[in-house]
Amino acid sequence: MRIGLACPYTWDVPGGVQVHVRDLAETLIAAGHEVSVITPVDDERNLPPYAVDAGRALPVRYNGSVARLLMGPVSAARVRRWLREHDFHVLHVHEPTAPSVSLLACMLADGPIVATFHTANPRSRFLTAAQGALQPSFEKLRARIAVSEAARRTLVEHLGADAILIPNGVALDSFAGAQALPDYAGGPPTVVFLGRIDEPRKGLDVLLAAMPPLLAAVEDARLLVAGPGGAAGLRARLDPLLRPHVDLIGLVSDADKPRVFASGQVYCAPNTGQESFGIVLLEAMAAGTPVVASDIDAFRRVLDDGRAGRLFEVGDPERLAAALAEVLTDPAGAAELVRRGHAVARAYDWRTVAARIVGVYQMVSGDRPVSVAPG
Amino acid sequence: MSVLVAVVAVVVAIATYLTWLALRLDRLAARVADARDGLVGQLVTRAQAAALLAARCALPGLAASAERAHRGHLSLLAGSPLDGEVELAENALSRSLRAAAVADAGQRFPQELHAVDSAAARVALARQFHNDAVRDLRSLAGRRLVRVLHLVGRRTAPGYFEIDDALSPRDEASPPMLGAPLAAGTAPRPDAGGQADGSDRPGLAR
Repeated sequence: MRIGLACPYTWDVPGGVQVHVRDLAETLIAAGHEVSVITPVDDERNLPPYAVDAGRALPVRYNGSVARLLMGPVSAARVRRWLREHDFHVLHVHEPTAPSVSLLACMLADGPIVATFHTANPRSRFLTAAQGALQPSFEKLRARIAVSEAARRTLVEHLGADAILIPNGVALDSFAGAQALPDYAGGPPTVVFLGRIDEPRKGLDVLLAAMPPLLAAVEDARLLVAGPGGAAGLRARLDPLLRPHVDLIGLVSDADKPRVFASGQVYCAPNTGQESFGIVLLEAMAAGTPVVASDIDAFRRVLDDGRAGRLFEVGDPERLAAALAEVLTDPAGAAELVRRGHAVARAYDWRTVAARIVGVYQMVSGDRPVSVAPG
Repeated sequence: MSVLVAVVAVVVAIATYLTWLALRLDRLAARVADARDGLVGQLVTRAQAAALLAARCALPGLAASAERAHRGHLSLLAGSPLDGEVELAENALSRSLRAAAVADAGQRFPQELHAVDSAAARVALARQFHNDAVRDLRSLAGRRLVRVLHLVGRRTAPGYFEIDDALSPRDEASPPMLGAPLAAGTAPRPDAGGQADGSDRPGLAR
């Protein structure tokens, strides 16, 4: 299919929507689709070959943060030309509520248009005020996608329209089939922790408190801590009896991350603060490592209510130790967690997510391609 | 002179606005028509998949519902409206598909069962797209100015298509997660907060 993607935010400024559009575009291209992205960009040299420059966006202070917007006649002309040159089978605009390229594309195009809504904003005064002005553009949308339940609710409340829930994808390719780090292949049973050492919300203290009861059950257990921040201080603080069982390997590169997961028989996420999404859990599951995690909303959702990984009560070292010991000593149970974990990770993999999005494209695109709207 | 210019300007502005409204109505009518065709296509696919499963597993009840739905599709393809009769036939098929016998028989024919589930999920999506389009059209067509000036013409307002298309929960080896690939071969499932809870039903247009 020929697919046009519109990204409203400046390409070379970090942000979730930009990453989503980039990963989606690259997954679609790898699957053999023809894709063109139009986006604002600060420096055109930062654009990949499949993207087109819509101009420089204007930073505007709004609601305590800086939004970068783009709505001028020059950009409109570029969007119009982009639409005319490509003859897309489907136009997929991202976050069309932002006054930028996506909304422009929506206003200017006619035909099969799909929109993805990213933001969850329960009380958006802007959306409430702009609803009437947006309606003529939004009534062209053949399908609406929300990346989260919260984003879907925002859409229902402000625009009175429902959406299909398709989550953000995660790039999990590099995690499958990773090899253990040199010192860990075939070693004693290892628990992996990944995250900042000195960030209390990551919960390393809970895990360290769980080590004595764990060692009582599995006497040669070992803890592998990968992450930056105050390793020396931690080592000094550590109970001398624990020291031989705890390895601090510091910050690991993205390339080594899959190998860290593969070095353990269980991955532990003892986070005590709320996380929005458990990407790191998905990475561990994709690497084939069973997961034991705090019972917080985001983790419970990713772990399929505890079926794809063990959950323990937040901040409870005794229960954490029991859960870890169980996974380390019950190979059949661990294998079952790995199997279910693989299935969950597959559902979030970008290829799966993109396939669902293509399914939506196929359902809304008819005989007529996207054209430039008259008037 | 200046009065004349003002009058002409106002007339042009009004005419432009009305033309724009008419354009929006046309566009929405086209969207509804496309959504209807898409929905009919998915209903046809579902009935075909159901008929195939019924034939493989010798399920006379399912075969009868699929046959009844199929007869309805012939007139739909000829242009008849998506009315209450069609809804009844499709509901009967949904019910037959959820029968325990279907799930049991499907164990032996996972591929056919899978095709049915996949088609049923697409019916739910297509129905949502259709009803969204109908809601947008009805809300614009219901505006006072549009009604007073008869901008909609003689077209009858399309109705919502309401059927029970909830999928049957299948306890498969893989956990019913956030949906499996559409293209790569597994059926998408309505996820937590998905389409099966009735919250997707659009409210009646004003």
